[in-house]
Amino acid sequence: MDDRDLVGRARRGDPEAFTQLMMQYQVPLYNMALRMVGGPDDAADIAQEAFTRAWQKIRTLRDAPFKSWLFQIAANLCYDHFRRGRRYGEMPDEESNKVIGLGILTPDPQERAEASERNRLVRESIEALDHDMRLAIILRDVNGMAYDEIAGVLGVPLGTVKSRIARARAQVQEHLQRYPDFFPSTREDAHAE
Amino acid sequence: MPSEPRIPTEPTLEELSAYLDHELDDDARARVAEHVAGCADCQARLDGLRQTAYAIRALPMETPTRTFTIPAKPRESLRWAPVAGWIGGVAAAMLIIVFGVTHVPFSPAGTSSAAPASKTSGRLAYGPPQLSQGGAAAPTTHSDNIPADSSRAFAAKNTVTVTDPRNNARRLSLMTNAPTYATDGWMVVDGTMSGDPSSNVGQIHLVLRRGSYGVELPISSETFTNTDSIGFEGTYSIAALRLPAPVSGSYTLTATWTATDGSGVTLFAELPVTIK
Ligand SMILES: [Zn+2]
Repeated sequence: MDDRDLVGRARRGDPEAFTQLMMQYQVPLYNMALRMVGGPDDAADIAQEAFTRAWQKIRTLRDAPFKSWLFQIAANLCYDHFRRGRRYGEMPDEESNKVIGLGILTPDPQERAEASERNRLVRESIEALDHDMRLAIILRDVNGMAYDEIAGVLGVPLGTVKSRIARARAQVQEHLQRYPDFFPSTREDAHAE
Repeated sequence: MPSEPRIPTEPTLEELSAYLDHELDDDARARVAEHVAGCADCQARLDGLRQTAYAIRALPMETPTRTFTIPAKPRESLRWAPVAGWIGGVAAAMLIIVFGVTHVPFSPAGTSSAAPASKTSGRLAYGPPQLSQGGAAAPTTHSDNIPADSSRAFAAKNTVTVTDPRNNARRLSLMTNAPTYATDGWMVVDGTMSGDPSSNVGQIHLVLRRGSYGVELPISSETFTNTDSIGFEGTYSIAALRLPAPVSGSYTLTATWTATDGSGVTLFAELPVTIK
């Protein structure tokens, strides 16, 4: 796809090119993992491990789009996380000069406060989904991927993607409808207003 | 009550969901649209799915809790290895525009004064820096927003503006108050996001990096907000940043700004910074 130039350079061992790919995908990849596993530290571990593996294996990437391939690596790590409660990507900090990169966490207090009840309920409803449905709907509604791209990440047919997304939405909706104020406009009695 | 016979078959849950995503083929889409138009129940089902999808899409994109790194070389042991001379051949700031995950066709906006767009080929464009004060269409008066004691002479050398080629109004400017700092110095970074009403400072990622390692720099404040742009600033003690030993060397200050319009287009502004 369009990362071709950077991927080509990264395949030849150019860390700058790979770093640019990381810069481009770190936020979406991290958010995919975050919505899958819930915890920021686990999500960051998974994203870090996915980047490390992608970098180590990038020479094996042929025609597949880098993005799908990267997300597939991260998705597999999420499944591993669920299966084994495994953690990844401990920073190799035995020698402090090997790696820097501990970012400074800057949670915006205001945003936290506004991370309203609403978002909490949405997260809760996503976490109630089984892993397959959860991943499909995250790739669609968090990452904005098209169905064929999702099929590439998941390695399943389009029909399966369609069905997982639909069932996930129905379950999330059902979950959210337990909270009467969540969908005011869809409640039948709302027409009375 | 049964559906009227003339209304096409009741769409399935999957069809309604895929309809929302524009993922049905033309025939199926037409059939669902026609049915929904005449069936209040299905209209309500569709609305419910749509609001559910929107609720998920409204979750904030969060900032990673740390900067990601890679080993210096694939399949080799982890080792700090600055990429020697990477900045060496670059006279001034280098412009890089990275298009993200977009399938949006290129559609030039009104003005076409931006040099970088014409240099764009494919998804990645390199070109000369476009200085803020030179950008005819740039609505920013960035340099007016930095303290008067900042060196204008240095600022001119260490300023870059990148423009979204799909939308020349959308720009990201980045500057530092000097190109070179002492290891015990303070670096002031200023930036301006223009032309995107949905922009906020939280969308900016600022990283000081060398080779494939970097530290994320938190943005300390918004310097101004007006109808079409937002300024941001951060002041950093070089000594307090977790930079690799030896600290002296050539770094790249990178600001990325990803559009929130669903296009995934990322503006990527880079400036060389030397610490000695
Ligand atoms: Zn119906």
